[in-house]
Amino acid sequence: MGTDNHIIGERGGPVSINSRLELGLSIFLIILFLIPIGVVILVAEESPFHQVSGEPVNEAAQATGIRVASVKDSTWNLPGAMGGKTYVLTDNAGEVVAVSTQSFDSAESRDAAIRMYNSYPVGRGHPVGSLMVVGQHVIYATPAQSNIMRRLAPELKKKVLP
Amino acid sequence: MSDEATGQKNGIPSKKVLGLFALALINVAAVLSIRNFPSMAVYGWSCIGWYIIGAVIFLIPISLAGAELATGWPEGGGIYAWVKQAFGEKGGFTALFCEWSNNLVWFPTVLSFIASTLAFALTPALATSSLYMFSVMMIAFWGTTAIAYFGEELSTKFGNIGVILGSIIPSVLIILLGVWWIGSGAALVLPPFSPGAMVPTINVTTLPFFATIVLLFAGMEMAGFHALETKNPQKDFPKAMALSAIIIVVCTVLATLAIAFVIPADQLSLASGVMQAIQYFFTAAGMPWLVAPMAVLITLGGVASLAAWLIGPAKGLGIVAEGGNMPPIFDRTNKYGAPVAVLLIQAIIGSIISLLYIFLPSVNQAYWILSAMTVELLCIVYVLVFASVIKLRYSQPDTPRPFKIPGGMAGVWLVGGLGACGTTFAFIVGLMPPSYFSTSGLTYISALLFGTFVLAVPPLVFLKFKNPGWLKPAGAQR
Repeated sequence: MGTDNHIIGERGGPVSINSRLELGLSIFLIILFLIPIGVVILVAEESPFHQVSGEPVNEAAQATGIRVASVKDSTWNLPGAMGGKTYVLTDNAGEVVAVSTQSFDSAESRDAAIRMYNSYPVGRGHPVGSLMVVGQHVIYATPAQSNIMRRLAPELKKKVLP
Repeated sequence: MSDEATGQKNGIPSKKVLGLFALALINVAAVLSIRNFPSMAVYGWSCIGWYIIGAVIFLIPISLAGAELATGWPEGGGIYAWVKQAFGEKGGFTALFCEWSNNLVWFPTVLSFIASTLAFALTPALATSSLYMFSVMMIAFWGTTAIAYFGEELSTKFGNIGVILGSIIPSVLIILLGVWWIGSGAALVLPPFSPGAMVPTINVTTLPFFATIVLLFAGMEMAGFHALETKNPQKDFPKAMALSAIIIVVCTVLATLAIAFVIPADQLSLASGVMQAIQYFFTAAGMPWLVAPMAVLITLGGVASLAAWLIGPAKGLGIVAEGGNMPPIFDRTNKYGAPVAVLLIQAIIGSIISLLYIFLPSVNQAYWILSAMTVELLCIVYVLVFASVIKLRYSQPDTPRPFKIPGGMAGVWLVGGLGACGTTFAFIVGLMPPSYFSTSGLTYISALLFGTFVLAVPPLVFLKFKNPGWLKPAGAQR
């Protein structure tokens, strides 16, 4: 153990910190929390804001042979939302997925929508459904796990980067 | 005054200020969240089935287990004290640390909710400003930390007022409006009720949601952290558990149904938040003027929830440090008995994570993985708690338990087994990436498990370096 250090306590008295080891462990604790976050940021792919033309979900559905059972216009009640579509998609296995898209006028408004989605977990779990980001579009699908989204994802990912 | 009368332990002055109602409201603050209502209302009548699943698999087991453990071992530290009795220092410390570290990763999401809800009362477009979001998040976070600094009495009063104004009253308002909506003869957007409509669809695609439902009522153990400040823990804990469970279930189920009656599912499923639903709801009811006040109240409810999770585990960690398991810097308390060092370190780490959360652009996938980590950490906590309630019936059968899970050993196995299986299942399913994830399943699972491990392992490091000099002398104050 190293020599004792002293810091001033809240009442002005000396407070002992036993050793450098203790201080090191305290700093270790703070840094430790940044390690998994750093790993996550490395693993996760960025979705830069850029203009994607057309209707990505519709085009991806056509490219993968997924049937669009219905489609209607929708505008989310969020700042910067420019409108989008709500699709009901089905496949040959009878799976049904609701996919809603919305384009945003800026990276800030799009990222605010992403933040809002992520700040609505059910209880202490995940938010309902899943969110994918393609350029200016936010694509919300329920349920989060589905073969349809698994098939659509590679097509949609082609447009993630400018 | 004796230590027993003051709740003093190792120098921490703890006034016995908490009664039955205050204890119950701590749990209500931690669990009842208006944020859940629109998300669950999407499921229509089947939300009842989902709530029943959450109640049977988790809410009832954790309430019963918490009541037995809190009355048997009414010590400071809550889950730390309970798991320590069953699995020793390592187990107790790990359980508590997982709860604490899970919080630190979760804080930015609740802070973001608070800031965006408040923006709705001011100017909704403010939510797109990173500077506004971060400023409000930090005010809420450090403000709540400051309240915790002034000890149990003030933080309890704040929490109680916050949960009544910010969670219970808005829930009751939503329920009353739902009743009024039905009474007025207005059309309900839900189809007519039938028992079959309550049954949720459970298949491979809904498994992740099933796992989420298991943790819907997480936080019922929160009152246990306040055992030292409770006037009559052995009498009040079981009643507080029951009272809080009733308030939570009644408010949650009825308010969710009220929203489901009024707002079409396709309006709820647009990734919209609670305020968008509230706006639709109150505008449909002809009371749009109530939207802004509701936003303020719900913001307050968010802060009360934050306070419950911010203070409880921090107090627990203070107790662990006092036992000599962490360097002395962690066991510093102030004259109000608040664990100032833990609160400060918690605030620093939470602020850094919040900073990244707000200012790192376009990292939607990162948010998902971080929330997955919080699920995994919380599952570890609850598996240990449920395992403890079972083990302690064998290892310490004669310890007086003013409340015992009914049904003898079969009852304990049923309650503990249901809870442990449910949370283990949630842990496993929590490893599944959403279908759209571009990273491979193996990379996703590896990153998730690595992050969870790193956030769960510090207790073993601290215990490895533990030395007698870390133990705070009786009566000393650092």
